[in-house]
Amino acid sequence: MSASPIALSLTTPQAPGGPGGATPPSLLLERLLVRGVRNVAHADVQPAPRVNVIWGNNGHGKTSLLEAIYFAATSRSFRAHRMGELVQHGEKVASVRARFVERWGDLPPLAREQVASIEGRRCAVLIDGNRPPSLASFATRSPVVAFHPNELSLTTGPASGRRTLLDRLALFMDPRSADHRARYDRALRARHEVLRRAERAEAVGDAEIEAFEELCAVHGAAVTRARAAAVTALGPELEHAFAHIAAPGLSLSARYAPGGSADVQAAREALAGQRRRDAHRPSAGFGPHRDDLELSIDGHPVRVVASQGQHRALTLALKAAETATIRAARGVEPILLLDDVSSELDPDRTEALLTFLGTARGQVFLTTTRRELIVTPGVDAADRRDFRVQDGAVTPLSPGERP
Amino acid sequence: MRGGLPARLARVAQMLARLPGVGEKTAQRYALFFATTADEATARELGTELVTLREHVRPCERCNHIAEVGEDGRARCAICLDTRRDGTLLCIVARVQDLLAIERSGAMRGRYFVLGRLLSPLEGVGAEDLPLEALRSRLQDPGEPIREVLVATPPSVDGEATALLLAREMGAMGIQVSRIASGVPHGGDLEFADQVTLGRAIEGRKSFG
Repeated sequence: MSASPIALSLTTPQAPGGPGGATPPSLLLERLLVRGVRNVAHADVQPAPRVNVIWGNNGHGKTSLLEAIYFAATSRSFRAHRMGELVQHGEKVASVRARFVERWGDLPPLAREQVASIEGRRCAVLIDGNRPPSLASFATRSPVVAFHPNELSLTTGPASGRRTLLDRLALFMDPRSADHRARYDRALRARHEVLRRAERAEAVGDAEIEAFEELCAVHGAAVTRARAAAVTALGPELEHAFAHIAAPGLSLSARYAPGGSADVQAAREALAGQRRRDAHRPSAGFGPHRDDLELSIDGHPVRVVASQGQHRALTLALKAAETATIRAARGVEPILLLDDVSSELDPDRTEALLTFLGTARGQVFLTTTRRELIVTPGVDAADRRDFRVQDGAVTPLSPGERP
Repeated sequence: MRGGLPARLARVAQMLARLPGVGEKTAQRYALFFATTADEATARELGTELVTLREHVRPCERCNHIAEVGEDGRARCAICLDTRRDGTLLCIVARVQDLLAIERSGAMRGRYFVLGRLLSPLEGVGAEDLPLEALRSRLQDPGEPIREVLVATPPSVDGEATALLLAREMGAMGIQVSRIASGVPHGGDLEFADQVTLGRAIEGRKSFG
């Protein structure tokens, strides 16, 4: 890998341009207190408003720090399968306290404190000491977008990753979409169980199957509509981002391939017609659990035609488009969490990514094993802070300090 | 012996922790209360009442609401015995607690039927586990013909599926079936309603007149 420095060209936020020309509102993480998250036993971090470089060797807790930010913002993790994994070995509780500041134009900034904690299997969240009405409303208050090496499977991997991306966007565009999805999942599993029992010649009446099918149709149609809206918003952003990051001559298109229908009556009929077959399948042959986001370059599916480099560029474009879509829906610049992107990407593409993300004007946290590679000529010294992570301890470095 | 507690006391605490809404710490407090603060009569009275409770209180034979056993040995609840109630209207609920909540509202002047459980294939509860036969005979009771049924199961997936199942069963019997509305709490400002509740209230809107 080339050791040439990667320039992070960030534009400086502009002052309000006269009446009606306000700067986009932005979101800052001002302070972060971490306790017992993986190998970070205790950390008190005061980030800079633009760029925060988290530097250290592998396995010392860089990603855990990003995970802690993600957890305080969303109540979720971007890498754990079970939330209990976040709790430091030998501890009972993991908790993160984050002070976010939201700015709207030239109005005075408004701060709030978000707390997320895990005790055993229980996850609890608070905003300014109060419980939010739902986890979905908590997760959309302080938007963050994470980019980590595992996400390179977004374009090559199973459709579930792309569905998760659409659902995350749908959450910002229609807060009820999460409820419809949860209900759809449960109704779908219940229908499947009833069909399996019917196949085993147990006495199951049609009324029982129809009851769950009706719920599958109603909530499934709502999920389909929410995801279709998410693709409509994401598509143009994705095409724009891809043109900047990959070769400009190529045209990318994103198309929603629904596995179900937005029409309740059509869904009802499709489900009723597939009962026998569905009973023998691992899951139903119809419905939004089979949705995909089909990506094609110059009219050909990316799975077939794209090179390794194009897949990477596409993944970056997806993350950039996610950021732009959330910005448009939520009216706030999402905070970016970039985990070790330079090790997965070639320097040219990393630079393209950082340049593109730079135009986003949001706060950025990035981890690296090679701090000397991250140069940020467009950023004031006061707007960048570097942290060293060693054995789970986080220490700020002074601007000129050499590794 | 756990946490320095005598084994017998720990056992009582464990038994108390089986009660709904009682955690380990509360159970320990109750056990200590009986062992130290409370006089002996308190424990003896409670024990006797608990042992004989089921002899005196059983599900109502008409509606499954909780009822006192009469001198004739039959269990019929106060609501089923109340002649001032509208016998043509029946409200179906999942649990006795739901019935009590609706009763507190004072809005339901008919009678009830308690299902005891909801359709939930994922927890192994199928239609055959619901008291549908008892409900059918209740609906066809010649002494008190039901004209309208209000299904007041909770708005969860299992509650909605149960409501759909019942609506289909009873629709075939020519009975008018309605479902409780879902929406914003009374007295609360709209701004405090969560997004899902408010969304459902708007979807289930009514026209004037």
